[in-house]
Amino acid sequence: MTRLAGKSALVTGGRRGIGRAIVESFLAEGAAVMACGRGDRPDGLDPAVRWATADISNGAAVDALHRSVADAFGSLDILVNNAGVQLEKTVVDSTDADWESVMGTNARGVFLTCRRFIPLMAESGGGSIINIGSISGFHADPSMALYNASKGLVHALTRSIAVDHGRDGIRCNAICPGWIMTDMAAQAFAQAADPTAAEADAVARHAAGRLGRPRDVAAVAVWLASDEAAFVTGQTHIVDGGLVAASPIDPRLF
Amino acid sequence: MSGKGLQGKVALVTGARGGIGRAICARFAAEGAAVFAGDLAGVPGDAPDGIEDLALDVTREDSVAAAMDAIAAAHGRLDVLVNAAGVEIEGTIEQTALDDWHRVFAINVTGTFLVCKLALPLLRTAGGGSIVNFGSYDGFIADPSLAAYCATKGAVHALTRAMACDHGPENIRVNAVCPGYIDTPMLQSFFGAAGDIESLKAEVCRVHPMRRYGTPEDVAGLVNWLAGDEARYASGQLWVLDGGLTAQAQQMRL
Repeated sequence: MTRLAGKSALVTGGRRGIGRAIVESFLAEGAAVMACGRGDRPDGLDPAVRWATADISNGAAVDALHRSVADAFGSLDILVNNAGVQLEKTVVDSTDADWESVMGTNARGVFLTCRRFIPLMAESGGGSIINIGSISGFHADPSMALYNASKGLVHALTRSIAVDHGRDGIRCNAICPGWIMTDMAAQAFAQAADPTAAEADAVARHAAGRLGRPRDVAAVAVWLASDEAAFVTGQTHIVDGGLVAASPIDPRLF
Repeated sequence: MSGKGLQGKVALVTGARGGIGRAICARFAAEGAAVFAGDLAGVPGDAPDGIEDLALDVTREDSVAAAMDAIAAAHGRLDVLVNAAGVEIEGTIEQTALDDWHRVFAINVTGTFLVCKLALPLLRTAGGGSIVNFGSYDGFIADPSLAAYCATKGAVHALTRAMACDHGPENIRVNAVCPGYIDTPMLQSFFGAAGDIESLKAEVCRVHPMRRYGTPEDVAGLVNWLAGDEARYASGQLWVLDGGLTAQAQQMRL
């Protein structure tokens, strides 16, 4: 398991869920990993992982993060833009502060880190940028207007970066997860009128017969980060257990 | 909802006695076109003014050639071709007999190919024209146990783009309409196989952002626009008409 041996990686939003799984998988594959998040170093994080406290929606914080990465690794091979926030509101209900929160992290954060780290990655011959998009960037989740829009932006920015910086050896792809069983998803089920029935219904909509796990996303991230994916760039890779391949109307579910 | 946008145009609609085909013929006639309503002989027609019934088996080259001869004899040209002939068979690929597979491809794909191929000389004589094929949202995402049908619609989508490229220089536009759930006998049959139609109807409406099924008249509205000169720069596209159904992520029952 050394597919990322000799590579250095930065993972934003590395505290929990998908980000945490990517951090652990990269480490297991031999990469030198720095993770960041808005809070202090999380409990239980492998001592081999460097932790930086950083709010990537803030330009000065990203500058500081850049210095930390340069000091630690001298260069950067893999950047994973995973940090993201979710907000359940329609456009009409969303405030300016909501826009700042969602677009600040999900959209501007990706812009800020890419702008800051692409030159560092290019200096050492390039690397792989992996942005976490979402199936919500293709199809609208109800009452998630700003979140959906922020992920659409990530998908388009992914293509632009791939096109503009490919000649610097930079590959840029997005992973678009579907329903991954994270704390966020668990909360949604817990709030349902009948949590057991709600989860059974969700599972029935997946060709894979289950919801996703953070490790499923991390496995794709490892591949995109590795040299195995040397010709893969500019794409949005859906990882959803078959959810969006299926019609939303299945008489078996009624 | 009719002007005279197709005044002076000659149109052929295949599958003209199906639910959607009938609505297209009626709309075209109301818009002033001379309409040939092609369908299998023996399917009762009730052609009002401006609509002429035409015996047509889209799977047979001699039948298609005879239909074109009839149009040539009457008008010497063709401006609009709508390939609405299509059938749906239910089953996974294991449940689909080879003969059934051949039959659904013969009508949905080969039929579209044959009618387009033999109509091209008449469209050229008219100085160009508009071909409207019938794709489906099932060409993008899968309904369960509808494998052969889904595959034929994917083929129609690709054929639409290929023909648009090949014949654009001759001023022949080629588009596909991709309906979602339209209230037709075909849909009733699909639901009938799954259980009680009425009990499903409310559920299916609920899943649609527009909270209703489409009607054949809704489809005719789009086909009419694509057929007319207002759409003079529209070609090679797959026009999804589904009341917003596939714009949304799957609606879990939380």
